[in-house]
Amino acid sequence: MSEITASHHLAEGTRATTPLLRRLSSLQPVRFLIIGGSIAILLALIAYPLALLAGYSFIDAHGNLTFDTFEKAFARRGMWQATLNSGWLVLFVTVGACALGVPLAWIVARTDAPGKALITLSAGISFVIPTFISVISWIFLAAPNSGYLNRLAVEYLGFSAAPLNIMSFGGLVFIEIVGVYPLVFFAVSAALNNIDASHEQAARVLGAGRLRTTLTVTLPLVRPAILSAVILVMLDALSSFGAPAAIGTMANFSVITTKIYDLLKFPPQFNYAAAVAMPILIVTAISLLIQKYAIRTENFRTLTGKATPDQITRLGRWRWLAGGFCLVVAFGTAILPVGALVLLSLLSSFGAPISLGNLVTKHYGLIFDEDFVARASIIHSMLLALATATVCATLGLVLGWVVERFRFFGREVISFLVMIAYGFPSIAYAVGILMGYVDLFYGTLTLILIAYAGKLLPIAFVLVRNGIQQLSTDLEEAARISGAGWLRSIKDVTFPLVRGAVGIAWVLVFSLSLRELSMSAILAQSDTQVMPTVVLQFIEDGAVELAAALAVIIVAVSLSMLGLIRLFTRKKTAVVS
Amino acid sequence: MSLPSPTPRFAPPPQVADRPRLELRNLRKRLGDTAAVNGIDLAVAPGESVVLLGPSGCGKTTTLRMVAGFLQPDGGEIHLDGVVASTSAFALPPEKRQLGMVFQSYAVWPHRTVAENVGYGLEVAGKKKAEIEAGVAEVLDLVQLSALAKRYPAELSGGQQQRVALARSLATKPSLLLLDEPLSNLDASLREEMRFELRALQKNIGLTTLYVTHDQDEALVLADRIVVMNKGRIEQLGTPEEVYRTPASRFVGSFVGIANLLEGEVDAVDRAAGKVRIALDAGDRLWSRAPARWLADAAPGSRATVLLRPEDFRLEQPQVPDQETGIDVSFLSESFLGSHYELKLQAGATPLRVQSRRRGSFVDGRTRLWARPGSAWVVA
Repeated sequence: MSEITASHHLAEGTRATTPLLRRLSSLQPVRFLIIGGSIAILLALIAYPLALLAGYSFIDAHGNLTFDTFEKAFARRGMWQATLNSGWLVLFVTVGACALGVPLAWIVARTDAPGKALITLSAGISFVIPTFISVISWIFLAAPNSGYLNRLAVEYLGFSAAPLNIMSFGGLVFIEIVGVYPLVFFAVSAALNNIDASHEQAARVLGAGRLRTTLTVTLPLVRPAILSAVILVMLDALSSFGAPAAIGTMANFSVITTKIYDLLKFPPQFNYAAAVAMPILIVTAISLLIQKYAIRTENFRTLTGKATPDQITRLGRWRWLAGGFCLVVAFGTAILPVGALVLLSLLSSFGAPISLGNLVTKHYGLIFDEDFVARASIIHSMLLALATATVCATLGLVLGWVVERFRFFGREVISFLVMIAYGFPSIAYAVGILMGYVDLFYGTLTLILIAYAGKLLPIAFVLVRNGIQQLSTDLEEAARISGAGWLRSIKDVTFPLVRGAVGIAWVLVFSLSLRELSMSAILAQSDTQVMPTVVLQFIEDGAVELAAALAVIIVAVSLSMLGLIRLFTRKKTAVVS
Repeated sequence: MSLPSPTPRFAPPPQVADRPRLELRNLRKRLGDTAAVNGIDLAVAPGESVVLLGPSGCGKTTTLRMVAGFLQPDGGEIHLDGVVASTSAFALPPEKRQLGMVFQSYAVWPHRTVAENVGYGLEVAGKKKAEIEAGVAEVLDLVQLSALAKRYPAELSGGQQQRVALARSLATKPSLLLLDEPLSNLDASLREEMRFELRALQKNIGLTTLYVTHDQDEALVLADRIVVMNKGRIEQLGTPEEVYRTPASRFVGSFVGIANLLEGEVDAVDRAAGKVRIALDAGDRLWSRAPARWLADAAPGSRATVLLRPEDFRLEQPQVPDQETGIDVSFLSESFLGSHYELKLQAGATPLRVQSRRRGSFVDGRTRLWARPGSAWVVA
């Protein structure tokens, strides 16, 4: 009773004395500031650099629209060859990744072959290890003369010449395939698991045989997954930088991304770099459009669940062949490279015989030496990863909320901008960042932070947005009507309920920041080296043992951070219907 | 639910009792291309229970969400306790309106215990711990959930979650309680039980409520007044009896209860008694009550539609019938529903639904049908 009387006095008093205050409160200034600030940051992170990038390549020194820059850029020596190389790389890698990923996915999801768990684990490992690190392993294993596998082949298997050469275009294709096939594998096996058994059972009941069912029902149902994965693989191969830079230097060939990197070496030629990045941009844009319009409409709704016994194909004696295939893949793509990496990091010198006496820790000692560049790079990387993860998780939460909850003109622009950053090749994006912020932040970690945050924001955004999407709006509205302001409703209701998603986003962004190379290579200066750039430097200088030791640290930190995800997913994130 | 408190604790102070708790003035809202709410006027008096009833898309939920402050009107005004809360230029945020709301989905927070859910409003208001505990205990007692205070919502049944949502909305002693189809997620028997509990609660503690539903039975049980809405407008505003017995339009007649509509031509007008005699197209002549405004223009020869409820038909001739010969009908089908028979009959081309205690006797599948005297009503 007293409550209500008080409320009346309050309402009346407010009306009589300070109508202005009432008007102001209706604007909800806290919400306005936070959302407005986040959108401003988004524009600064993504829209501004991209606009500059487009501007530089289309507009000449006098401000006129021109295609001259393109002509001049592509008239440079080796540019067409590099473009062609990129094209072949994309083609081979895409075909190879599908040839490896689709059969493996089918074996794991739908057959009784042994060794299925091993494949899932090794695909996970391949996925976590960036290609500039697997390059180190494969140099150790398959360098033309000194590679240990080659020596094994010559000494024990009677080869007259070294059979393997990782420092070649073929070697690059192999390393890229191993790096990206998990995308196909995970997408297709998830899709196969998600097909409700009743779809296939219906076909069987109507008289279709197992093969016919697979071809007419199962395959069409996973086609969207395959297409999405193919597009991701193509974009990944097109914008890959680490392995091409490491191998290209030694094997003396270029792709578009390494050409861009060369153009930015002193003296930097921004407009040519921007122009050369354009083909990547255009292919990316087309691919994303295809994905949006051709695949999304085909994205069938299916129920989730594991394959039922009925869906498992019994392979009979082919079972062991499939199992053998799994074992070979696991060994060749995960066990061997990881083992080689660790071994190399402990070996006294590359080429030394593998014996207990030759195992030393001096490389790690050097890595942590105070006067050596590597130690500073570890600190830089950790700081950057912490900052990037925090910025992305926070921005992801606010922007995810805005897109899901706020009905205002142009909210779709937000998700569009964020997704552009996702599909955008890192190397081109870094060029944009460099052009936009080099005057303000030259040679600082802030410059790198801006690039990391912009490029990794999409991952946090998608994860947190999905979390918010699953929350009924009512839950927040119930808090508002109970008297909580906007910020308080987010703090008390939204955040606790999407904490799991925010935590996962934070960890993923952290791990990905640690291994980011293409943007770091362009943006890092001598005082702002990060772990991946130092690794690349070591490779190019031929100090592969040091590269291996630092790479082991990157992989170890990444894997243990990803282990944290289990913590977030296991924790009781309340079931919300 | 037994209700411990007979005194209306939520009653308003006397000096504001005459002022409407809620007033809507020519309220408008467009959603996309449609006028979701197209000019609504309504006043809810303190202690009153008003139900917004209508099919989906009629604008009832949009109206409720504007009152709550989740949507801003495009035109018109919302006044709460005589103070402007929303116009097209201004909207008081929901948290400053001192309302309670029960959501269709319950919206019980899964990460908070029952007590934490219920006490949230008091917590936000900055009450002391002891005050919050006392307030929580009081409303939990009211909805009979005291034993479950420490449980998490996932451990509760749908009906119990519903009570938590109700308790949470009552804990802050709101001046107006909004309910958005709160019972539609419950199963049929629980829904029926909760209707009566809600009504008793509302009367006992003198709550002012604005209740949205598409379920006519719920509306009839819960309302002091029903607002029947259609296509963003009010079709009729009246007590449950008025809405059911004297619907203002064919729409209201068909939406609330089952309507048998018989067409005919006005044959005689008795303005003093408020009645007209209608020569039905299906034969027979029938005296029917009619709305005063319609009656004013009625003249012999004009067309009219008569509404008769299934329970208003008789298979035997009454003592003082409003008719001359009875309506000649043919038999279509019959279902036995325990308490009565549900007959499907046909008068000319018009299908009729009739409730009858007895099976009735048909000769060659035909019989004569009589209206209960005084039950026929002309719908405009």
